[in-house]
Amino acid sequence: MKYVEYVNSLIRDEVIKTDRLVLYGQNINAGSCLGGLTRNLKVRKNSKIINTQNSENTLVGIGFGLMLNNVSSIFFMKQQDFLLLGIDHLVNTYNIIRLNVPKASFTIMPIIVDSGYEGAQSCLNSFGDFCSIARIRGFSCTNKIDTKKIIKKHLISPGFRIIGVSQRLLKQEFLDVDTIYSDRKENYFQYKNGSNVTIVCFNYALPYGLNLYNKLKAINIRASLFSVNTYSEFDFSPIIHNIMKTRNLVLIDDSKSGNLLSDSFLFNAVDQCVIDKKVIVKRKLSKNWFYPRPDKLEINYNKILKLFKS
Amino acid sequence: MKDFELGLAKQVLRLRLSQMIINERYKNGDFKIPIHLAFGHEAIAVAVDSIMEKNDKMILHHRNIHYNLSRVRGLKATLEEYYLNKDGLAKGKQGSMNLCNPEKNIPYSSSILGNNLAVGSGVALGQKINNINGVALIVVGDGGIEEGSFYESLLFQKSNRLSVLIIIENNQWSLATRIDERRCEININKLADSLDVSYIKLEGNDLFHYIKKLKEMREFALINETTVCIEVKLTTLGSWYMKTKEYPNGKFINYHAGPAPTVNVANGPVITESKEDPVYVLKKYFDENTLKTYADELLTFLYEDIK
Repeated sequence: MKYVEYVNSLIRDEVIKTDRLVLYGQNINAGSCLGGLTRNLKVRKNSKIINTQNSENTLVGIGFGLMLNNVSSIFFMKQQDFLLLGIDHLVNTYNIIRLNVPKASFTIMPIIVDSGYEGAQSCLNSFGDFCSIARIRGFSCTNKIDTKKIIKKHLISPGFRIIGVSQRLLKQEFLDVDTIYSDRKENYFQYKNGSNVTIVCFNYALPYGLNLYNKLKAINIRASLFSVNTYSEFDFSPIIHNIMKTRNLVLIDDSKSGNLLSDSFLFNAVDQCVIDKKVIVKRKLSKNWFYPRPDKLEINYNKILKLFKS
Repeated sequence: MKDFELGLAKQVLRLRLSQMIINERYKNGDFKIPIHLAFGHEAIAVAVDSIMEKNDKMILHHRNIHYNLSRVRGLKATLEEYYLNKDGLAKGKQGSMNLCNPEKNIPYSSSILGNNLAVGSGVALGQKINNINGVALIVVGDGGIEEGSFYESLLFQKSNRLSVLIIIENNQWSLATRIDERRCEININKLADSLDVSYIKLEGNDLFHYIKKLKEMREFALINETTVCIEVKLTTLGSWYMKTKEYPNGKFINYHAGPAPTVNVANGPVITESKEDPVYVLKKYFDENTLKTYADELLTFLYEDIK
């Protein structure tokens, strides 16, 4: 099953269960329905689907206004870049809302444009920046398991959060990989346990990490594999303990942000662990980073394999 | 006048005197937070309060003291909030510019111009989803309608048949800049008309006229599931002249926020003897002695309340 089909089916399952719910956004039930993300949404009689005007700033505020009236809502967004227009509400309005414990749910579900070739605009791919600006809970959906847990638990749940889906991955077969462990807040998931190397993926980098895991396995190097799905500080200690055991770290972050949770994680890892070998794979942004170019993260797998083989 | 009208007139006086007491403390440097007093805005606040029904919601902006005071009976809880005390209206968590009172149907106040228009649109949509027969009353100023969210919100409200009254308090000023110093005129009537949104203008601070028109507009908005823009021409009283080397005769300073140095509670509730002052306009309906008696009683009550 394709990524977008799976996410769509999970959304459909959740929204039909909920009373007095507003689903809204531009083109959510017209045309391609956001590339299939919002196709065939059905809601209960007392709920509403609104194919909205193009007013992102106001549309973000409307979600918070609905919360104040105890009505839950989901704002689906074709590109996360559009959310820049709603930053006032992400910060200023949310800070008022969070003074009290909200009874209603408000989720913004944007497509993170990480597919490349978009040009100077629509190439933001910096989910973490949106989250860090007001300590907003954010979740990335990278595979079947994490997506199912995140959507079932957080899509419609009291409070506010952003759940992002990757445009790069939308049309691909969805990763189906078993988990060993997930923390109860869905901050991170562990998929593999090995004693030689710890691979920690951030943002939507899990496919790269899994690829590396398989390549390491082929040369008898056993790796632990983690994916961090959130963008705010959390208790890193279970992952840090794993690095203490393996003493080898590969960190992969495919976000374009200059404000990375993985930097904070790395600081903690270096501070607390004796690390023999480490590889940090992050964006090396050229001065032309905002030109229409591929957005794929460049990883020299052979170099990494050689390092850990030696 | 009947008791009902007398009660409303007392409300105008109470709002004025409450603000004057706060102003005296402000002049003494009592507050750490910024407070935007609303001398001259009392008539519209009392009128809005008096037409509100139990399911209506008021969504305010930074200058909200008059509306917040209109929804409570005393001054203590508001004053304590301004001191950021736990006994305050919002337990000291909101201060002035964001002061809400959900129990009294004020779920939200914003210090960001135009921000509350979007949130108010969401509140109005919530009324509809909840099948509640009530309007959302969104208060903005002539600065707030310069923001893009004014147009965006009107469009959303109209497209989704929401019942909304947008109260536009037009005092002509945004901080220290008059409208004619910062932009062209906005013909709100024509702008509203382009979206098939109704418009009325209120001016003169006649409380009872305001109430009559607001009641009509509230019914109209509910029955027709539409938005009505209500432009209220008013003057924020408390201006003063600052003498500097460049302006030896004094430079006009329009009151925006902070203490109003020229307003003094000891001088009585009237600030200026003109239609700009809602308390002065009450003299159209009540004789001076009656108003003075009420003012004295209210001042005693308020001082007792905050003792």
